[in-house]
Amino acid sequence: MKAFKLAFRNLIGAGLRTWLNVGILAFILILMIFQYGIYDGWNRQAVTDMIAWEIGGGQIWQENYDPYDPFTLEDSHATIPASMQGEIEKGNLAPVLVTQATIYPDGRMQSILLKGINPDQQVSDIPTAILSGDYTEIPAVIGNIMAKNAKLKEGDLVTVRWRDVDGTFDATEALIVGVFKADVPAVTARQMWIPIERLREMTQMSGQATLLITDQEYIWYGSEEGWVMRDHDFLLKEMSEMIRMKKIGGSFIYVILLLLAMLAVFDTQVLSIFRRQKEIGTYMAMGMTRSQVVRLFTVEGAMHSILAVIVGTVPGIPLLMWINSKGIGMPGDYEEFGMAIAERIYPAYSAGLILSVMLIIIITTTIVSFLPSRKISKMNPVEAIKGKLQ
Amino acid sequence: MSIMKKTQIISAGLIVGLLISGGGLMNAQYPSGDEVMDRMDRNMSSKNRVLTSKMVIHGARSSRTIESKTWAEGDQKSYSEYLSPAREAGTKMLKLEDALWIYSPSTDRTIQISGHMLRQSVMGSDLSYEDMMDDASYADNYKAEITGEETLRETKCWILQLEATTEDVTYQVRKIWMDEEKYIPLKEELYAKSGKLLKKTELYDFKRVQGRWFPGRMVFKDMLKNGKGTEFIIDEIAFDTDIPEHIFTKASLR
Amino acid sequence: MIRFLLKGLLRDRQRSLLPIIVVAAGVSLTVLMVCYLAGVLGDFIDFSAKFSTGHVKIMTHAYAENSDQVPTDLALTDVNSLLDEVQADYPDMDWVLRIQFGGLLDVPDENGETRSQGTVMGISIDMLTPGSKEPERLTLEQILVHGEIPDSPGEILISDDLANNLEVAPGDTVTLMSSTMYGSMAFYNFIIAGTVRFGTVVMDKGAIIADISDVQTALDMYDASSEILGYLPDGYWDAEQAEIIKMGFNSKFSDPEDEFSPVMSLLNEEGLLAGYLEMIDSMSFIMVFVFVLAMSIVLWNTGLIGGLRRYGEVGIRLAIGEEKGHIYRSMIWESLLIGIVGSAFGTIVGLLFSYWLQEVGIDISSMTQGATMMMPGSFHAKIIPSAYYIGFIPGLIASSAGTMLSGIGIYKRQTAVLFKELET
Repeated sequence: MKAFKLAFRNLIGAGLRTWLNVGILAFILILMIFQYGIYDGWNRQAVTDMIAWEIGGGQIWQENYDPYDPFTLEDSHATIPASMQGEIEKGNLAPVLVTQATIYPDGRMQSILLKGINPDQQVSDIPTAILSGDYTEIPAVIGNIMAKNAKLKEGDLVTVRWRDVDGTFDATEALIVGVFKADVPAVTARQMWIPIERLREMTQMSGQATLLITDQEYIWYGSEEGWVMRDHDFLLKEMSEMIRMKKIGGSFIYVILLLLAMLAVFDTQVLSIFRRQKEIGTYMAMGMTRSQVVRLFTVEGAMHSILAVIVGTVPGIPLLMWINSKGIGMPGDYEEFGMAIAERIYPAYSAGLILSVMLIIIITTTIVSFLPSRKISKMNPVEAIKGKLQ
Repeated sequence: MSIMKKTQIISAGLIVGLLISGGGLMNAQYPSGDEVMDRMDRNMSSKNRVLTSKMVIHGARSSRTIESKTWAEGDQKSYSEYLSPAREAGTKMLKLEDALWIYSPSTDRTIQISGHMLRQSVMGSDLSYEDMMDDASYADNYKAEITGEETLRETKCWILQLEATTEDVTYQVRKIWMDEEKYIPLKEELYAKSGKLLKKTELYDFKRVQGRWFPGRMVFKDMLKNGKGTEFIIDEIAFDTDIPEHIFTKASLR
Repeated sequence: MIRFLLKGLLRDRQRSLLPIIVVAAGVSLTVLMVCYLAGVLGDFIDFSAKFSTGHVKIMTHAYAENSDQVPTDLALTDVNSLLDEVQADYPDMDWVLRIQFGGLLDVPDENGETRSQGTVMGISIDMLTPGSKEPERLTLEQILVHGEIPDSPGEILISDDLANNLEVAPGDTVTLMSSTMYGSMAFYNFIIAGTVRFGTVVMDKGAIIADISDVQTALDMYDASSEILGYLPDGYWDAEQAEIIKMGFNSKFSDPEDEFSPVMSLLNEEGLLAGYLEMIDSMSFIMVFVFVLAMSIVLWNTGLIGGLRRYGEVGIRLAIGEEKGHIYRSMIWESLLIGIVGSAFGTIVGLLFSYWLQEVGIDISSMTQGATMMMPGSFHAKIIPSAYYIGFIPGLIASSAGTMLSGIGIYKRQTAVLFKELET
């Protein structure tokens, strides 16, 4: 404890030099948290977007549904069980009916998916509200990727051909009432969103759905014959794996950042031991053992990081919070980009992240402070007190 | 190739289908759909037919002609073999009710197209396998009514409208322009439920074969898509021949 | 004077060696950071270049218009002569043919009739020509699950999941049913050489890799290919270089009036990648900026402390009558020298280390369940042009600025005070 007090007094006594180092460490601390946060936030954005646009709190699939196999669509629709009706009315579930269709923009042919959804649903961010209204044509909202590939824009009419439940062809015009921009290709590529009741009429699949998206706040505990709950673990598996990989790849960056912080401490420590030889000699002359002096200097060095943590929180917390609320704008136009990546990135900081960054900084600072201090143990106190270089 | 099959089958289907269709509503001005269908029936009815035909496909770059020979019985059995060009020669197709088999000599394989595959588009083309197999059993699925008269290619025609009576038909409405004298169809249009025109077939160069009028050339066109359509030329046709029953078995594919 | 200062620096290790080491360490960290970031963020681009877009891609105008539908009927014809020409025009680049196709993969029973089947998407690459870089480019060796990589005509790789679904194994014969570029039905028998794991659900559901010459035969695409991909000499994406090549090619070969004439497009014009590239640029800009800023502060601090600790010396020099301005200038010259030497040294070390990371990489495959095409299982750095100079910002400018700031103290302090400091 004595060592702590002494170390603290020494540090404060050193004035400007200490505060410079503490400032740097604090700055690096904030940076590390910020950079970790932005990397994490960037990665997490994909998941956040998928949840907001596509999967909500999870999806309940008709048991035959396989999003990667359009063949299954013919068999993967069923009447929504009565037990779910109440939840749909409460807004906890949003049924989606999916069917294959062909569109003919400018006489070219493209196969797409028609997805029926309630215009007044709140579960997904897809702007379905504009679908409600009295339209002669089928009102449709499409995502940015679809708009680009099919060269469609708001107000355009496009011929859509589909088959009803019995396989009879039907075709009519769809009116693009809106184009939305999202970073989730699963809702923006090769598909048109239309009112579910309309699609049910078109396909004669009254009261049916292919899947139901659950609200983020809602957990479906029910079980129904023929329906399967697909939770986040299932739906985000591929994405999570990718993020995990990116994190491993990114962790090397933190090693570099950490080295940067260590460089600062090491530099200071070497200098201060060099400059304070007389002081070291005096300590020894006063009866401190070498290891006590080493400990004193190590604690001094490490205390830089503790002070940095304290100093860092003052500008750090409001700064990080501010960045977090504003997000970081990414210049450029990502309209066509297929992965779930946003224009604004909101860094993600967790308490765990902040604490572990602090802990890592304190531990490594201690180690780095200790290394040059070992030199003290080899010092001759008499020479040291004279200030002779050793 | 797919279109070729389609034309063959559609041609067969159209003809056979029209022959046996009936049950139209009476309309004071015109003869009943029944009656017209019946006349066409008498013109074209046959137990089976064997035809040699050419199909001209207008592709993005060039047009190609494929020659084939087809044996068909009723609307459920059909067997074709491709004669030229060399790459296609020897490819055989057998259709029995809802199943379709294709034999390719180069790989010595018989591949079955069934279930979901039938509804998928053929190699990204506009036609599904089901389209190709469209046997259009008109009598079972449509009721006929004459809705008007029109002069088409200097020929007076009845406009015969066929409305689906069953649910599992591919096209809800078919319109046929029927020669009032010869009782042969000159044009057929296929409509979606919404009334949108999806496909059009025009028939030309009618010849008299074994006492029946038969088109020598047909042009198919997908009305939603850009393109020149596909031409189908019948070089030879014979009715009521002796087709050995083993032709319509998988054994004949190899 | 510089020689004098240099001597001083060389003789006083405390004054020279330590600051140089610190500056060099800081600079090499900065260089490493820049290169690693470029490598890691560029992984996705790299993957896409290797897998589907190339650095540059030649297609027909018509194919390019509808490329999302992989219309083989709009493929390039006379590709061999075109390939010869681009190879002659750009001999340093690697040019390869690629055909993407779709179809039905059919597995026979003992009678040669359908036992099982599935729709597949296929890519065809040159797997058989000795010296072809394509197998390595698609990391076939790493993603192989069972069997072997095709080494003779008629062999394919199929996704492992598909193999399980179709109940086939390496050595089995399967038939591809597709359509030729002229719209006819196409059939071709393949022997499954091996199974692979792609790492994306879509491709693992049903993707196959076939040799380009097989696919040309199968789809009646003799002397035709849907795409010609070009890879830049050093294997890394360089927008400026690619742009020049594109301009040259298009003015020579491309005719906008003829929809079947070839047209070259760039990696950064590919729909999905255009935004990502820009974003990587801005993302790495932010990260590098922040890092350089931090490193600058550290080295500035080094300079500052270096200056502070020499107040005693400054005191003596003032005492023996040296002019304040002269001392100040000499200190700045000194720090500039240290900055230059340290930065140069640091940049070399950083580049060497980055080069090692670029060539060897960090292998993390032990942390994942085997490598896939999407997740290669190792991370690599990438040496980018800015790596050659960026280290000088913190190394030279910042450390000198630190010295300048601390040197201001010289003017403030009285000679007497400095003497007093000297005594303690």
